[in-house]
Amino acid sequence: MFEPVFANFDFFVDGYVTTIVLFVSAFIGAVILGTLFAALRVWGTGPLRSIATAYVEFFRNTPLLVQLFFYATFLAQTGLTRNPVQAAIVGLAVYTGAFVTEVVRSGILSVDARQLESARSLGLSQLQALRYVVLPQAVRTVIPPLGNLSIALVKNTAVASAIAAPELLQQGGVIASRTFRLDPYVAVIIGYLSLTLTLAFITSRLERRLAFSR
Amino acid sequence: MTALAIRGRRRASLPWGWLLLAGLIALVGLGFFVGFLPTDKWAPFLRPTTWRTFGFGLLSTLFIGGVSLVASLTISLPLALGRVSLPNPWRWLVATWVEGVRATPVLVILAVVFFGLLRLGVDFDTRQWYAIIGLTIYTSAVLAEILRAGIVSIPRGEVEASRSLGLSYWQSMRHVVLPQAYSRMTPAIVSQLITLIKDTSLAFIIAVPEVVGAGRSFFNFYGNPVETYVVLALLFFAINYPLSRVSRRLEARQPADQRVRVGGEEDLVATEVP
Repeated sequence: MFEPVFANFDFFVDGYVTTIVLFVSAFIGAVILGTLFAALRVWGTGPLRSIATAYVEFFRNTPLLVQLFFYATFLAQTGLTRNPVQAAIVGLAVYTGAFVTEVVRSGILSVDARQLESARSLGLSQLQALRYVVLPQAVRTVIPPLGNLSIALVKNTAVASAIAAPELLQQGGVIASRTFRLDPYVAVIIGYLSLTLTLAFITSRLERRLAFSR
Repeated sequence: MTALAIRGRRRASLPWGWLLLAGLIALVGLGFFVGFLPTDKWAPFLRPTTWRTFGFGLLSTLFIGGVSLVASLTISLPLALGRVSLPNPWRWLVATWVEGVRATPVLVILAVVFFGLLRLGVDFDTRQWYAIIGLTIYTSAVLAEILRAGIVSIPRGEVEASRSLGLSYWQSMRHVVLPQAYSRMTPAIVSQLITLIKDTSLAFIIAVPEVVGAGRSFFNFYGNPVETYVVLALLFFAINYPLSRVSRRLEARQPADQRVRVGGEEDLVATEVP
């Protein structure tokens, strides 16, 4: 049992590390994109707001697989990069960013408008009011759904194997087809569970703490 | 409304969404005219044979999605009831299954099902079944969790009241709790359907014929992969966008305290946030 896994342990560790790299970089990218577009959706005017809405609607209603295929071929054709990990990071960040936009937007809207108005009338500038009054309150509503999105993102990194990014599923699949055994896949599942269950635990802890201090 | 975004009366605004769309169409037209969009790469999309290829792919996609949805809805009921009503070792077993499946990527489940069935010597003539089994395993677990959250959200007093009126446990479940739970989870089911339709594309990876595979054989012939992926994305968008509108409308109609919340699914998260 598990001999092919232990015989190729480094191979699996490489995949595990790549999965974590994909997750962390795509998550940072998604939060930046999401915050930007959420600001456009809330405070943007005219065409800017429409662009932000179009971004959210288009990318959340399209399969991640098709998006990743698109970036992989497009980036290779234009000569920007042939590295599947980079293409996957771009694709995962843009896809997840659409969902983060919705979460951050609802976080901003959950803060009462009078909070901003009274902060302004106390002499804070618009940016100061956002930084010290609105943001700390918005973060509280945003954290639990953001934690859920991070779990979904870890699961979605597996799709990067379709463009041959050497992440956990890809590495495990190579060993499985080479040895024609199922236990490499068991190792892959354990690898993903270790990440998703940890994130689920952290999310529920944060959720409880934020709920108490309210 | 006291939302941050709205200050005072809203000014009448131009229909920017439509203007943007018109601008986009004009830009594409100009692209063909001036030539920065290569006409020869897009022209094959105008042939009727192309749409026969895509049509058959789409039919297979909808078949996989439809059968998986019906099967998942059916299997999720015993899973949810098992987690609510069974005595402890069994309840724990069902809970572990549901939580474990939900925490695993769909693509991994599809790969394991495909590889495992091949190893067992199961060989389907209709290859769609590999995808249907994998997607059903995953979607039934998510729907079971949604349904469980719906059942738990019904106040205990309702079961107690119906029990004291002489209904058995299962009768009160059947006639009082489940109808309310299902009505509360409808928006979540629709949003999970969006996830399911997007996930059918993953069947391509285990070589099940569907619309992405149809696209690939198409661009292998015409040599226009980037354009084909754009068209594929638009096809999925055309199916999913109306569904996401429906889901959000249903969700908005639901009182805040009756909303069913289940994590770990991006589409569900996006539907839940107001």
